[in-house]
Amino acid sequence: MKSLHFLTVVLIAGLLAGLIHGFANIVLVEPFLDTAIGIENQRMFTSGEAKDTPEFWKTYSDYRLWQKQGSIIGGAMLGVATGSLFGLVFAYSRHVLPSQSEIKKALLLAAIMWTSIFFIPFLKYPANPPTVGDPSTIALRTTLYVVFLALSGFGALGFSILYKKMQRKRSLAFLGYAVFVGIAFIVMPPYPDKITISMDLVNGFRMASLITMTIYWIANAIILGLLWKKFQPNSVTTRI
Amino acid sequence: MKMTKVLQQLTKSQGKVPKVAVAVLLVLFGIGFFAVGFDQGQIFSLVQGHQAYGQMYLHEMTHDMRHASGFPCH
Repeated sequence: MKSLHFLTVVLIAGLLAGLIHGFANIVLVEPFLDTAIGIENQRMFTSGEAKDTPEFWKTYSDYRLWQKQGSIIGGAMLGVATGSLFGLVFAYSRHVLPSQSEIKKALLLAAIMWTSIFFIPFLKYPANPPTVGDPSTIALRTTLYVVFLALSGFGALGFSILYKKMQRKRSLAFLGYAVFVGIAFIVMPPYPDKITISMDLVNGFRMASLITMTIYWIANAIILGLLWKKFQPNSVTTRI
Repeated sequence: MKMTKVLQQLTKSQGKVPKVAVAVLLVLFGIGFFAVGFDQGQIFSLVQGHQAYGQMYLHEMTHDMRHASGFPCH
């Protein structure tokens, strides 16, 4: 496998999928973020921390515009990061993934990784809009999230290795992962913060987050599969 | 007698992933994932010092993506 071809294919796929994710967030997630941050602003006016003046709104508007542009940049960064992991796992596992099509292989792997490192952690610790998280609990919430993410992700990796080594009754590996992650789900404590805003807003935000993250994983799989098929970074041509 | 040289190409699939590529991808994954998901000024503090923890430039810039991707925030 040629390093440069491989890296180029993986990084371009991650970057493009990340940009798609960023733009999808602008359309689907940002309206919920604006509403939630509007509630934060009202709380600041009520507490006297800020004053409801034209200057405030001018500064706020410029700041939010910068953050929305940052969302695209953040999408690119996260796309490259997650795409790097995805490409790496794809390179190691594509020979055991069923199907002759690189796109179908990538989509299947994306479904597995979406489930283990996004959806299962999302079920336990779902995305929340601003105003929900208490700044004083950020260290605890981060620890809980990272521990559960690691348990689910490394659990999936461990049981997939077991799956490859098993000669018979391979479905037991899936069952083993389900039991393992189920126990972690029950044992791990929930986020400590109470939600004090409308659940319609929270659930709408979570649904939008779920949709755009799913768009990201599908996009990364399709783009990686297409690029892999076209450039075949795993192929080595020798003259004899 | 004219000699004819016949060149043949052999294309084979090689599954071995180069170590340098593995290292590059793992580093990019670690830095990017931390920057978007968890940074509270740590990365810029390497250059800016303690001022970065108050400013939290990366955190603020990737704020919306952090929320949207399910990372804990605030």
